[in-house]
Amino acid sequence: MKPILIVLCVILAVIAVFIAVYYILKARALREKKRLSAAPAAGDAAEEGANAKKSAADVFRKYDRSFVLALSYTLLALVCITTVFPFIWMLLTSIKTIEEATNTLHVVFFPAEPQWKNYVDVFEKLQLLTGLKNTMIVEIATIPIGTFVSALVAFAFSKMRLRHKTFWLLFIMSGLMVPYASVLLPQYKIYMMAGLTNTLWPLILPSFFGNVSMAFFFIQFMNGIPNEMFEAARIDGCGYFKSFLLIMIPNMWLAVACQVVFGFVGHWNDFFAPSIYLSSNSPSSTLQVRLYTFAQNADKPLLYAGAFITCIPLFIVYLCFQKCFVGSLAITGIKG
Amino acid sequence: MKELTNEAGIEVPAPRADGARGTAGELPPERPEGGRKKRRSKLEIRESRIAFGFISVKLIGFIVFTLIPVAACIIYSFSNMDPQRFPNTLFTYLGNEKFWAGFKQYADLFTHPLYSQIFLRSILNTVLLMFSVPLGMAGGLLLAAVLSQKDLKLKSTFRLLIYLPVVASAVAMGYIWQYLFATEYGLLNQLFGINVNWFSNVHLTRLAIIIKNTWGSLGRTMILYIAGCLSVSDTYYDAAEIDGASRWTKFWKITFPLVTPTTFYLLVMGIIGNLQSYNDSVIFAPGSQGSQTVVWFIWNYGIYQRNYGLAAAASVLLSIVIMALTVLQFKRSNKWVYSV
Repeated sequence: MKPILIVLCVILAVIAVFIAVYYILKARALREKKRLSAAPAAGDAAEEGANAKKSAADVFRKYDRSFVLALSYTLLALVCITTVFPFIWMLLTSIKTIEEATNTLHVVFFPAEPQWKNYVDVFEKLQLLTGLKNTMIVEIATIPIGTFVSALVAFAFSKMRLRHKTFWLLFIMSGLMVPYASVLLPQYKIYMMAGLTNTLWPLILPSFFGNVSMAFFFIQFMNGIPNEMFEAARIDGCGYFKSFLLIMIPNMWLAVACQVVFGFVGHWNDFFAPSIYLSSNSPSSTLQVRLYTFAQNADKPLLYAGAFITCIPLFIVYLCFQKCFVGSLAITGIKG
Repeated sequence: MKELTNEAGIEVPAPRADGARGTAGELPPERPEGGRKKRRSKLEIRESRIAFGFISVKLIGFIVFTLIPVAACIIYSFSNMDPQRFPNTLFTYLGNEKFWAGFKQYADLFTHPLYSQIFLRSILNTVLLMFSVPLGMAGGLLLAAVLSQKDLKLKSTFRLLIYLPVVASAVAMGYIWQYLFATEYGLLNQLFGINVNWFSNVHLTRLAIIIKNTWGSLGRTMILYIAGCLSVSDTYYDAAEIDGASRWTKFWKITFPLVTPTTFYLLVMGIIGNLQSYNDSVIFAPGSQGSQTVVWFIWNYGIYQRNYGLAAAASVLLSIVIMALTVLQFKRSNKWVYSV
């Protein structure tokens, strides 16, 4: 099949989908209109007549909207296809043979015989398990401590009296302005002098001291929790740290959970810092660095098998915690 | 509200000097009973000390991992720093005349026959690649407007699928797009029956990166615009409905002006994020001149070629630009931004 024909087919398919959706919606609107205009015919009061007129107008508007709606559905479906397609293509490529994946004559959409053994091979060639282990070490070492410290900082700012609070907040927050590139060279030199390059320490150490943007998220969340709870606890003789642990943490576990999820995804996808501190063949390179190194001279199907495997945990986390990704906006809110 | 964000796209508020809404800049209300001032302040001092203890961990981290490195970076930028020539700590060289270079590194960035061309090109690339920011925003706004229609079904499914690329790792995404754009067996070339080498031409490489990054940012801008659209009160639309405004008018006269805070936020944050882009230079289009950004320059000359002075000068310039933009985001101009 000629390439241009494929494109034409795609365009025709889009138009067909649009027309089909349009007629379905239109038919439904028409049915609704018929039902509504039939019902009040039995009624005799003038009031009902007015109602009927009103609902008929409503229905007409609905009828009118089927075009817009059909257009919307088609557009959204198209966008969804483009956003999902690279992932599907990744999966399809990963089960092809090398010849199929790099066929220069025509596109091979579906492999003649799915090469599921690519997924077995990639574990060994990519040393996936080593990468996974290193990534998990970073995750487990950084997330609990980092989240705890951030929450504690947020608690001090949100619920305690602190002298020069605004100054300290601005002081800490100015860290958000500093691009990573400018702290990179001195940090790299220090880690080199300490002999810590090619270990996981450069990735773990900074996270022990909390994360500024995470702390701000918590501050915003804590401001929504009434102060009275903590005042009451204080009157009952509860210390600050204890009230943080026993009152604040149980009240904000949702925010904490979301931040843990974000932290997980962030560390999982982190590439810049690991690629600098860990040389490509180091036994402590993380998953993304492994993938990057592997890609330099790997066969396409194996590379995409590896890439797809590294994406699977993200998909699972995203599906399980999708409320976090969308809902966190509702917590902080972005308003005028 | 003024916000900052981290990579995951979490919105965080900036403190407000006036403390109008219960933000962190605001002190808890003073206790009403007056008179016994001394006793209260004693309690307050104790509380303040404990609170300071709580934030001190973060303060230490900030000083060690941000403040000192920034100071060192500024010193590097005025020096001939090379970790092999000057392997010890910075302090031992402060009196060394050979260590200092004055403004040489800054001058080199713009005039050195070897570096200046590459540096200027990396600036040009970084600026041109930012085209993906407005494109992604326009796409996100369109999707948000389409998705906020009330009688649309399957909304959450669409939202879920469109947001998917934001979650995926940059490395995996870079490679799959590289494959789609590949010259001989790339799907894009084959589908349209063309034989374009996307990575040999500077302009085509930039175009490919812009397409890829626009695609990657759609989900994020869409979600933020949906949140922005939700905060627009229905009463405006009802009033416009009564006046007989069309869908088009409602969008341009109500939705669009009222989501300007989101627009402004996304614009500034998009620019800041793109100023620091690096992944495309090494993953998507490695070695291609059209993909080399400023951070790539810093990495290449600093970490890779050990010319710390030059790289530090570049990163100081980059930091100044980013800081200026952040301050702008804080002091968000009220001229074209709607605020309550």
